[in-house]
Amino acid sequence: MNSSSTGSFMPDADLAYTILADLKRTVREYSTATTESNCPTVRQMFTDLTNSTLKLQGELYNVMQQNNLYPAPGKALQSDINKQIQTANQTKQECEQFVQQKNINTVPGSPMGQSYGSPLNTSEYSSNPYVR
Amino acid sequence: MMQNGSMQPITGKELEYIADCLSNEDLLTKQCAATASSTQNPALKQVLSQHIQMHKQHADKLIGALQQHQPLAPTQPSN
Repeated sequence: MNSSSTGSFMPDADLAYTILADLKRTVREYSTATTESNCPTVRQMFTDLTNSTLKLQGELYNVMQQNNLYPAPGKALQSDINKQIQTANQTKQECEQFVQQKNINTVPGSPMGQSYGSPLNTSEYSSNPYVR
Repeated sequence: MMQNGSMQPITGKELEYIADCLSNEDLLTKQCAATASSTQNPALKQVLSQHIQMHKQHADKLIGALQQHQPLAPTQPSN
């Protein structure tokens, strides 16, 4: 990859990745600390620090991505997304039945049991992911 | 910055999290400084230099919370 400085301690990508991984761990620790706080002011502080650290992690990730220091993850296939939509709709319907059996009034405005948009029209969008 | 009405003595767990998070911020500050000084990539250098300031601010916030809670803490164990 792009490690121009031959005499450096480690390649840029490795050094940056180490920081990225530590930011990720720190975000996790801040959010755990938030959920385990007792004092409201401490909880608010940990919430703010979680958000701030998430922002730093995102910024570093973007810079790494733009400078080819982080390999781009592979794209999910449309057929795999379709499968997940089907499973999700089925799960959602079963969950709706369960809630109805418990005689709980759900809040209006969020209609459960309604399917999310079915897979896109295949005449407009090719189902073959390698053809655009 | 923090409202006084809801301020309670911190628990042992909260104290340990604050201590752990302070050491995370210390490590991140040093990692950013070391990498920013060794890299030839200007974009990476810039973002890491900005991050150093943020990690210092985070550490100050954590220390501030310890200071604010210090007078509220009991001097004897209660249970």
